[in-house]
Amino acid sequence: MKIEEFRDFTIADYHHLFKEKKISPLELVNLFLERIKREEDRIHAFLFVNEEEAKSEAQKKAENPPDEFPPLWGIPIAIKDNICTRGIPTTCGSKILENFTPPYDATVIERLKKAGAIILGKTNMDEFAMGSSTENSAFGPTYNPFDRRRVPGGSSGGSAASVCSLEAPLALGSDTGGSVRQPAAFCGVVGLRPTYGRISRYGVVSFASSLDQIGPIARNVEDIITLLEVVSGKDNRDSTCAPYPPFGKSEIPAPEEIRKIKVGVPREYFPSGLEKAIGEKIQEALEKLRGEGIEIVEVSLPHTDYALESYYIVAPAEASSNLARYDGVMYGLRVEGDNLQDMYFKTRTLGFGKEVKRRIILGTYCLSSGYYDEYYLKGMKVRTLIKQDFEEVLKNCDLLITPTTPSFPFFLGKEVKDPYEMYLNDVFTIPSAMAGLPSVSLNCGYKEGLPVGLQIIGGPFEEGKLLGLALFLEKLLALPSPFPGFKEDNNE
Amino acid sequence: MKEVISLQELKRIAQLSKLEFSEEEFQGFFKDINNIAAHFEKLNELDLQDVSPTSHLSWSEPPFFSDEPRPGEGREEVLKVAPWVAGGYFVVPRIVDKEEKRNEDRRV
Amino acid sequence: MSDFTTTIGLEVHCQLLTQAKMFCHCSTDYIGKEPNTLVCPVCLGLPGSLPVLNQKVVELALRAALALHSQILPQCVFHRKNYFYPDLPKGYQISQYDLPIGVGGFLEFYSQGVKKRVRIRRVHIEEDAGKLIHEGVSLPPGTSGVDCNRCGIPLAEMVTEPDLSSPEEARDCLMMLRNIVCYLGVSDGNMEEGSLRCDANISLSSSSLLGVKVEVKNMNSFRAVYRALSYEVERQKKLLEEGKPIFQETRHWDEAKEITVSARGKEEAEDYRYFPDPDLLPFSIKEEMIEEIKSELLELPLEREERFMTEYELSQGEAEILVQDKEIADFFEDTLRDFDEPRMVCNWITTEVFKNLRELGATISQAKITPAHLAELLKMVAKKEISGTIAKSVLEEMFATGARAREVIARRGISFITDEKELENIARDVIERNPQSVADYLSGKEKALQFLIGQVMKETRGQADPELTRNVLIKVLSSEE
Repeated sequence: MKIEEFRDFTIADYHHLFKEKKISPLELVNLFLERIKREEDRIHAFLFVNEEEAKSEAQKKAENPPDEFPPLWGIPIAIKDNICTRGIPTTCGSKILENFTPPYDATVIERLKKAGAIILGKTNMDEFAMGSSTENSAFGPTYNPFDRRRVPGGSSGGSAASVCSLEAPLALGSDTGGSVRQPAAFCGVVGLRPTYGRISRYGVVSFASSLDQIGPIARNVEDIITLLEVVSGKDNRDSTCAPYPPFGKSEIPAPEEIRKIKVGVPREYFPSGLEKAIGEKIQEALEKLRGEGIEIVEVSLPHTDYALESYYIVAPAEASSNLARYDGVMYGLRVEGDNLQDMYFKTRTLGFGKEVKRRIILGTYCLSSGYYDEYYLKGMKVRTLIKQDFEEVLKNCDLLITPTTPSFPFFLGKEVKDPYEMYLNDVFTIPSAMAGLPSVSLNCGYKEGLPVGLQIIGGPFEEGKLLGLALFLEKLLALPSPFPGFKEDNNE
Repeated sequence: MKEVISLQELKRIAQLSKLEFSEEEFQGFFKDINNIAAHFEKLNELDLQDVSPTSHLSWSEPPFFSDEPRPGEGREEVLKVAPWVAGGYFVVPRIVDKEEKRNEDRRV
Repeated sequence: MSDFTTTIGLEVHCQLLTQAKMFCHCSTDYIGKEPNTLVCPVCLGLPGSLPVLNQKVVELALRAALALHSQILPQCVFHRKNYFYPDLPKGYQISQYDLPIGVGGFLEFYSQGVKKRVRIRRVHIEEDAGKLIHEGVSLPPGTSGVDCNRCGIPLAEMVTEPDLSSPEEARDCLMMLRNIVCYLGVSDGNMEEGSLRCDANISLSSSSLLGVKVEVKNMNSFRAVYRALSYEVERQKKLLEEGKPIFQETRHWDEAKEITVSARGKEEAEDYRYFPDPDLLPFSIKEEMIEEIKSELLELPLEREERFMTEYELSQGEAEILVQDKEIADFFEDTLRDFDEPRMVCNWITTEVFKNLRELGATISQAKITPAHLAELLKMVAKKEISGTIAKSVLEEMFATGARAREVIARRGISFITDEKELENIARDVIERNPQSVADYLSGKEKALQFLIGQVMKETRGQADPELTRNVLIKVLSSEE
């Protein structure tokens, strides 16, 4: 078999192949490993390829196929490098954790393994998830499979790119202010940010604890649903994880019910700065939905304009505290010094990249005595207003539709004078994150060979409705699934 | 560029965060942080007096665990790969500053 | 010499008696264990680890807060206290800031016979840090070692208002606080082992000068608290008298040199950047839980002390001694059930029982003697079946072997000589052998009688009732005349 045959596959399709004995888990893993070998020079999605272990796991499975396949049995998956994988390096894209191998698995990894998944490797990311382009990785950037001159988005750039280029059928990323949705949009794949507390954060290296969530990334909505079922649900090791059972497919309404959904389109998400082509593609999608009888209304989220500022106070503040543990004492990089203080300064200065340092300084400042009320307290208050905006609007609509990003994937190496410009990439993804709401980005079209991401936002724990509409829309749009480089492969 | 935070304040913050910079780097951060902080002024457009802050996103009461001890995982692996271990202790360079010991003496 | 007013406030930390740590399942039994053996990803602060709260920590802290008559706040929030130190793996300590478990309570205690009340500002919970060693066989020269076994141990911090007015009061207040937490089973309150720690703030002011607050740390026993604060009073008094300034600073008690030493480092205060810990959701303490704990609150030390004074007519000093250790107080009252003579029991406990415990290096719960056993022995003394002297030595053996009084007496062949006839015979013997003493007695020397009594006791190996012996001797001697 050839990898291009899997272009439109769902997990069910792979399982079908296994059942029909058309391919074994080991053969499948080998196909992906070969794909990775071919693509990685071009894409650099992976920081670590788990070749040996993946092969032996696949081999074990091939030798012992069960009668009933657990949900992810034999399916390879790429994992963002800020998720702890026992015995496999977990660097968070940072020099300070370059040689760190966690002695434990994150809860999501345990659940993936239990469901039969095979860890293919760890993917590249912006250092400590701080960034929107994956250029802030200490180990080199990842390239957008659609156009290698462009960024894949961030911070889960490696995960999104690997799924886009079919180096992996599935991936896990993490989303704090858009780090799953934005790269998913830039890479033409589906990326879900679930309700805050839906998926356990135990074992996910913290950036901003009240915002971080694990996000599944896949080539189709069906696989997102399967992934969510496997990793979501109560975890006693995470106090912020909601005490509910895992998400179940049964929560997804039937298409007839979907047609009855009322969709709100917030006017603040179509500012003058929005790339025209993106706005057009979103409107086309909305038209198609109208054609199916779905009611579309314009709504307003009046505090949208303040979300970015509030996020860039709250998130760096939490980050400055979360990153204090990287001090060279027990794990990770240590630069020896004349005395303790010297060691602290040298280790952290050498170990952290520029953006991380910038956010630590910013965050420390916002929490600092004398500034707490002016910044952090204000940031938390504005967060309340943003939450209230959504609560109000969701009283009258079931879901909201917006563009995922204001622009197309931009070129690598764009030296920005004002770091704030980079932050603007997250302007559509930040507000729902601040409110803790679930949102998904899926491809709604291509323009000049680049994908356009459409974001659907739902109410808390309403992933059923959310993914139901996503499925519906995906089917409606019937877009070709991403597989950049297919032509080059065919020429081999 | 509006100066929201002074260079001296920035240096104090850097000290608190255990980060050191060359003068040139300081100047760079000075500009960056002030640029970003200038945007924060926008929040003053809002009337936040009666708004309660969202410090947590909690949908329910958090879990507790019942008081039963269990052996912890990963201990040996951590000690094996730690930068410096001797006699089972994590080793750090000497602590010279009296001010550092001040923090320590609150504990026996 | 002008009049100075001393103002002292205490900040007390006690380790809570849980089996597992505050935010993870590691065991709290860290004393004497090899370094870094009671650790896990959570208390080591490994990347990705998260805290979950141990239910028992809340219960125990609540007990303490309620016993101190605190108002329990409806919502409990954890804050992060951020600073760098090797014994703090996460680079922050999970503590509480403006929404602690309890606020606005009070504590009553006796100091030098006078009942005092001190207000309790707050009771909050926080995790302990690890231990640092600065020299040891295994450590390379010029380094320090970090042991994380203690990281994450739950602590309750209790802060008083500056209502104390002398080093004595401070010490007595601390002792009462300790007794309370021990009584409640909240902590084992051991200052030497570090499960109870105390810092103090002290300032001296006069009618013309406002006091300057000095923080005193590193006082590792009740005695040290008293000595350190006494030293500070003198030091500050002297400076004030000489018109010299007192710096607002932290000073450490040097036990060896018996002085406080300035720990003045940077002038500026540490900026801890407290903010609500986003990894731990706020939780509410339910009314039912508060009511349940309130109803389970045992009689507290002060109440018990005052009850002993009224019910058993003991003095404040006597009651205080008995009440110091809950187990002793329990033992006392249990003994009274079989032998209702409070004064006598109190006396025996505070002298002989304490003596034996000291010599054995044991606590009353470890001792082999039970309240019933003590009661039995004391009954015999009261009925004059044995002398007090004999009883003391019998008690010693009871402590050593766990045998009951009658067993010991039987084993030793102590049969109490109550037979007057027998005593008479022995008395006559003694009189015959000591004519000089007899003569002395008959000529009016009382001391001679004592000597003769002693001789009878010697003959009977102490088994004669001293009083009976005396009477018999007198009877026989008078018949001699």
